[in-house]
Amino acid sequence: MTARHDVLEKDSRDRREPAATRRTFLRGIAGAGAAVSLGSQAAWADGEIGFWAKDLGPDQLIHMYTTIQRIRWFERTCADKMLTEPNYRGYNHFYVGQEAVAAGVSAALKNTGGIMEADLVYSTHRPSGHAIAKGVDVRKMAAEYEFKATGLNKGYAGEMHIADKSVGFMGADGMIGPGPVIATGSAFAIRARGSKQVVVNYGGDGTYATPHFHSTLNNAALLKLPFIYVLENNLYHQYAHYSYSCPMKDIAVAAKTYGIPGVVVDGQDVVQVYNAAKEAVERARAGEGPTLIEAKTYRYYNHWGAPGAKPGELGAFGYDPLAITSFRPERELRAWMSRDPVDISRSTLIAWKVFDRAKADAIEAAAKQEMIDAFAWADKQPTAKPEDGLKHVFVEGEVAARQFG
Amino acid sequence: MARKSFMYSVLEAVQHEMRQDPNMIWIFELTAPVASTPGRPVINLEREFGRKRVVNTGIDENWMAGCVLGAGLAGSRAATYIPYQGNCMCFQMLQNHAGKLRSMTGGDAEMPVVFILEMTGQTPGFAGQHSDYEIDTYYAHIPGLKTVVPSNPTDAKGMMVSALRDRNPVAFLYPAGLRDLIEDVPDEPYTTPLDKAAIRSEGSDITIVGSGGGMPEVLKATELLKSQGMKVETIDLRSLKPIDTATIVNSVRKTKRLLTVDQSYYTLCPGAEVIARAAENVDGARFKRVAFPDAPPPAAPEMFLWMRPNADHIVAAAKKLVG
Repeated sequence: MTARHDVLEKDSRDRREPAATRRTFLRGIAGAGAAVSLGSQAAWADGEIGFWAKDLGPDQLIHMYTTIQRIRWFERTCADKMLTEPNYRGYNHFYVGQEAVAAGVSAALKNTGGIMEADLVYSTHRPSGHAIAKGVDVRKMAAEYEFKATGLNKGYAGEMHIADKSVGFMGADGMIGPGPVIATGSAFAIRARGSKQVVVNYGGDGTYATPHFHSTLNNAALLKLPFIYVLENNLYHQYAHYSYSCPMKDIAVAAKTYGIPGVVVDGQDVVQVYNAAKEAVERARAGEGPTLIEAKTYRYYNHWGAPGAKPGELGAFGYDPLAITSFRPERELRAWMSRDPVDISRSTLIAWKVFDRAKADAIEAAAKQEMIDAFAWADKQPTAKPEDGLKHVFVEGEVAARQFG
Repeated sequence: MARKSFMYSVLEAVQHEMRQDPNMIWIFELTAPVASTPGRPVINLEREFGRKRVVNTGIDENWMAGCVLGAGLAGSRAATYIPYQGNCMCFQMLQNHAGKLRSMTGGDAEMPVVFILEMTGQTPGFAGQHSDYEIDTYYAHIPGLKTVVPSNPTDAKGMMVSALRDRNPVAFLYPAGLRDLIEDVPDEPYTTPLDKAAIRSEGSDITIVGSGGGMPEVLKATELLKSQGMKVETIDLRSLKPIDTATIVNSVRKTKRLLTVDQSYYTLCPGAEVIARAAENVDGARFKRVAFPDAPPPAAPEMFLWMRPNADHIVAAAKKLVG
């Protein structure tokens, strides 16, 4: 914790004056992939990395790697369907590239027992990874993405609103702002009823600019809520670089204002993410209050869908017609892909002799097959009945059709 | 005259007013103020007027709305484009501030500001939060806030010029479902009143009233009904605050039958207000409403498209009312 705070303070000392030009800022950001890499090497040398993760048994470590692969192949399967099947109706805000964040965080959480026992996760408009890591059924997810009647939420949710409270996955949210505030409400209830659960809210760099960000951390700190804000800084909110919405390089420095820990982690390294999450979860369970974790990460696809991507290939390098505000430089994307969460977790576990290459390959092949099967199952599911649109407005009954006059 | 989209027409109006008034500002977040159309120059407000006057913020609609309101109070004309995902995030700014300050200050405050509030276009599959922003009634309910909803590029340009020149705050609803609508629009600036409905078709059997994103289906239904011999009078509200009561009442006095069509939710939809005003002023008329049910829009296109009012629904409802 101390070591990380030192890093943080150094970052804030190094912060450019507000007058610094955007070009200067971007120059700093362009090297972020490399800088994080150096940072994690330094942290490793300090003995910081692996402290918690090395306490984990092989099964738990392999589970983290498996989760990363399952997220990766769920999304790659979905992307390929979007790119090659004209009748495929699903879409996705792809999480690929960020898998280590969800895998590392969920490994520190209790993921069973429903809303009264499981740790609760509030997700974003980019929910696949958060959901899979929390233990949501991937077949039902795939069916939901295709709006099927037997999908996770019966075709009402699509990708953007999937939810499964049985594993504490409180749901994806298409808005930027309200989610974390609502999450602190759950944390308040947990504290009031004296259970040992914690609440994790995922949010992106775009959430910093909302008034809700302040409200969330202010109240969580004031009330010492069992709450963890996992801010996945993937550099872009929709199509705008975060330098448009945030005056500092590390959003985690905001935590200081509230007197709570603010931790920057390498979001490509599941071990680092787990270490930070584990510490934050224990702190929250012990009644010591919230933590802000900023995971530096990157998405390999554009904001929405698969424009610019090619079937069978990882990442979207092509032109995105929607990206008016900022274009993601190809060099930036390639730099981040050279620090891929799959590769990093795989080589870490091989180095730790948790598994060998053959086992790692077998896990990947199994994940890929599982997702191909899940989407094939989803394809065969029945579509929603039109008139069911009048259901589930209230707990009881249904509303009247009004479109016919 | 050239063929222009809704957004090109709007930005052409804004560009003209910003060239005339060096103090005027424009705030956006994710939707850059850029538009193009064949044979006309690309409009890029950010490039033309610079980031001192034209700036994008983070995802913070509260600030966007507050910023233009504050600019207006300080004597500068201002407009902001709030995308559909976030247009209720700033509701308080419109409802408790923009709508009330003129009154609360006994006529001291002046707010020459325009809030362009994008509505979703109701795309099937986008689900609850990204499908339901045809929430026209919310704004029309606010005292002190003019609320308009143009339904084509020509009206959009004329009403934008009028809105920018108006000394009152204006909620300018942009139904994004109309983004593909392209028509000939004059190049020079012109004004279109902010308080007048437009009669799109004259007839004596039935009055059909719609607005904004619902108009293409209303016009389609009108043609279908006319081809079957029904004399249809079709009114495009254009303004929801104030509502043009005279045009509605004059029409219903003639037809004695009023069908309203809304893409927004049934309860308190604009059509409810239209029917109330007709009922208060015309004896012996019959009424019917077509609207989206009082349910959040489900993601599945099968459910959503079944629920969304379309030309077939309008034709059937009109026949029930006339038959």
